[in-house]
Amino acid sequence: MDELLMILTRLLMGIGHLALILIAAPLLQGFIKKSKAFWQMRQGPSILQPYRDLSKLLKKEELISEHASWLFLLTPRIALAATLMAGLVIPNAWGWAPLSGWGDLFLFGASLGLVRLFLTLSGLEGAGTFGGMGSSRELFLGLLTEPGLLLGLIVLAFITATTSLQGIITGLQSVSPIFIPRLLAIVTLGMVSIAEMGRIPMDNPDTHLELTMIHEGMLLEYSGLSLALLSFSEQIKQLLLILLLAQIVWPSGLISSSVGFLGMFGALCFAGVKVAVLGFFYATVESLFVKRRLFRVPHFLATSTATAVLALVSLWIIRGQI
Amino acid sequence: MLNKESQFVRQLFMSLSFVLAGAGLVWGFVTIQGGNWINTGLRFFTSAGAGLSFSWKLDGLTVFFLFILLLGQGFSSLYSIGYLKEYEEKKKSLWPFYANWFLFLGSMFGVLLADDGFSFLFTWEMMSLFSFFLVLYENEDRQNRNSAYIYLVMTHVGTVFLTAATLFLYTKTGSFAFEVWAGAAPTLTAIQLNLLFIAFFIGLGTKAGFVPFHIWLPYAHSAAPSPVSSLMSGVMVNVALYLFLRLVWLTLGPGPIWWGWLFLLVGALSAIVGILSASVQSDLKKLLAYSTIENVGILGMALGSALLARSWNNVWAMDLALVAFFWHTLQHMLFKSSLFMGAGNIIQATHTRNLDRLGGLLKRMPKTGLGALIGILGITALPPLGGFWGELILFQSLWMNTLNLTNGWGKVILPLAIGVLALVGGLAMATFVKWFGISFLGQARSQMAERAKEVHPVQYITPFLVSSLAVLSVLWPAATLGLINLPLSVLRTGESLGIESVIGKPLIMSSIYLIILCLLTVVVVILSKRGVRRVTATWNCGGPLTSSMQYTATGLTKPIRILFSKVLGSQRNVERDFAGTRYSLRSLRYEGRIKEVYEDIFYRPSIRGLLWLASQIRKLQEGSIHLYLGYLLITVIVVLIVGR
Repeated sequence: MDELLMILTRLLMGIGHLALILIAAPLLQGFIKKSKAFWQMRQGPSILQPYRDLSKLLKKEELISEHASWLFLLTPRIALAATLMAGLVIPNAWGWAPLSGWGDLFLFGASLGLVRLFLTLSGLEGAGTFGGMGSSRELFLGLLTEPGLLLGLIVLAFITATTSLQGIITGLQSVSPIFIPRLLAIVTLGMVSIAEMGRIPMDNPDTHLELTMIHEGMLLEYSGLSLALLSFSEQIKQLLLILLLAQIVWPSGLISSSVGFLGMFGALCFAGVKVAVLGFFYATVESLFVKRRLFRVPHFLATSTATAVLALVSLWIIRGQI
Repeated sequence: MLNKESQFVRQLFMSLSFVLAGAGLVWGFVTIQGGNWINTGLRFFTSAGAGLSFSWKLDGLTVFFLFILLLGQGFSSLYSIGYLKEYEEKKKSLWPFYANWFLFLGSMFGVLLADDGFSFLFTWEMMSLFSFFLVLYENEDRQNRNSAYIYLVMTHVGTVFLTAATLFLYTKTGSFAFEVWAGAAPTLTAIQLNLLFIAFFIGLGTKAGFVPFHIWLPYAHSAAPSPVSSLMSGVMVNVALYLFLRLVWLTLGPGPIWWGWLFLLVGALSAIVGILSASVQSDLKKLLAYSTIENVGILGMALGSALLARSWNNVWAMDLALVAFFWHTLQHMLFKSSLFMGAGNIIQATHTRNLDRLGGLLKRMPKTGLGALIGILGITALPPLGGFWGELILFQSLWMNTLNLTNGWGKVILPLAIGVLALVGGLAMATFVKWFGISFLGQARSQMAERAKEVHPVQYITPFLVSSLAVLSVLWPAATLGLINLPLSVLRTGESLGIESVIGKPLIMSSIYLIILCLLTVVVVILSKRGVRRVTATWNCGGPLTSSMQYTATGLTKPIRILFSKVLGSQRNVERDFAGTRYSLRSLRYEGRIKEVYEDIFYRPSIRGLLWLASQIRKLQEGSIHLYLGYLLITVIVVLIVGR
């Protein structure tokens, strides 16, 4: 009976975790847009605009290319589900991840990879040039980001001697914030996140110029409900990446329910502030740089991977193991 | 009209092959229950004769690979019932196929069961020979004859090394038995041991397809009929890897530490070179064959990690690496056979292997397409399917190896192997998105693809069966681990942690992940089941959309080709013909080529060297009678001196 109760509690907590992610994702998008508008000295749309966009798209008629098959409609659904799966391994405001066990840091990148596989396939569905262009570039970026993402997380795993993200976040609390390997790993993950989120200087989320876009290129044939699902999963992915990075920069560790309602609420607010600060940071980066040519991107991502290797070497040197 | 008799013969033989495999599996499950022979081995049919003896043994390690072989045999036989129909329609005699099919399977059984050097070499040679005949089955095509020839030459280069090692061990111990060899291994000097290892590495590595001995593999695996390709890629390479465990791990014993490093480095090299070459291929089957090299590379890395952990006495990491090895062996066999079957269906329906002539097949062959989609999900090592969990365990083993290493540069190289695997994963995704996307999605790029029809039911049902088994292996990881425990208990030395404590809990996650993902997808699908949908043309800036506007197979991975041009040796040659002015182009010729880098830097020089040596030796035999008389004179003098 107790066991059943525990499973039920965990299930409810998991659903709550997902619900929080679902609610917060468009808010973060709105906040980043607002921050960009701030740097551009514009009023900018309201922070709530992404919610309105999504609800507008949900009501619209959906157009489907005559060349597309059933895979075209499956992709947005799988994309949302798989992004949420990635969300299950990310520790939330209270440092708790519903799906944690050893090796779950590999699950994060792999779940995002599943989204990428379906998206790139759907880019080819429309039989047009733009979708193929988007897919080709996304695959190229994907294979370059993956080593950086994984190595960056691996360094943190070595620092804290665990391969579970929840364990890493908890373990990082007792590590000095200016511990050099940790700083280098943060730089790596920060750079990789830019590519994963599809932001300047890798890709431009605002452009609708077919020849330069990557992520939007794959979505070109989508409309209505499917487009809403895809934009939504993209926003969730952005939230997850920023949340993960925020937890690594300012870890708050596992907070038990014994701190009381006020303590729980405080932790949530702290997490919100962390994410907002990082969101503002990325908006600033995006305002300061220009989009790079596709064949300049490997340099950027190679730098991030090299930084991860440097972090690893410095970790062993500091520990006197090389 | 089909000949009734030949149709009956085809169904009879292939069903027989299928039923035999099924019976073998059932028999295996029954015997394993009461078996205390898993670790010690069960000897049978041993015939000790004058000098030469055949002896066979069954133990846990063999049982695992027999399971792989029987599964592969069962699936490809079932598939062949439909696939071989095409040859009947072409009035091509199938008798050579049947004969070689059974002999090939039988010789693989022999290799797995062999318990002494002589039976091993004998069955090994048979396996090479009959697979060579099967590769040669479609011998009308000049290219296929060429591929088979390269295969024959390369496989014999490998066999030479194996024969040398076997004979050396025989002269040392006076016996062919593996057991005697294992007993004598500690008495050998370090140099002898290392030379033996190198001979085995080259000999077996050639068959497994390790870079740089891989050049025959893409040719041979893609030239064979599709069921044979699936057997060669899914099973035969595993037979070679099995022998690494049998001859290196169990017989030569724990060697020096560089053996592990060699496996790790050659594995990483094979994985990268294999998948890079695959990503730029436009040939349906050759791409799959290159991906086999990649997967063999990953398996090599797992073996390397296991060997290193063994030298460092890191039992936990060793077990993890071995579990990863067996897990990936099983998954690779399942997915690769399913993909080769998919490729076979496409080839039968369209009569082309060129990706750039396909397209839009998912609408015309939906069932083949679904099987192939599951196949690419598995082979790109993405969750929720099995390919991912194998890599996860391998990652974990590499991580553990690093953490427990007290000091040294190994602490940097091992995590870099994780980075290599991540890169390989990304490249595999690009490769298989291309393989599936270009052939199944979009618009048909040729008349043949336009007219494609779904093939014989058994040909799409078999991939479904393979896929459902793959899903089952993830949904019920305890069963898969139970199977893996059989070879593991043979390979483990000293104290054992028990497979449950090493890996039990984390792998339950594989089924949890699969279930939650499916639930979430179902929830999303149900919630989003509203709204109006309308089918329209693809947006194309207002112009008409032709099939040539789509990305081609070559175009899709062009960024990869450019970035890795040094490694791939890619060349392009563009000839433009301007009509007087630079602004109007009359004609344009484009030629892109991928060089086989290894053929240029490794094989051509060695072939040149061999030819030069031969021409030097020929000088001894100038055809002059005086010279020969001189040789006779010298011989007589030497004999007189020696026999004085």
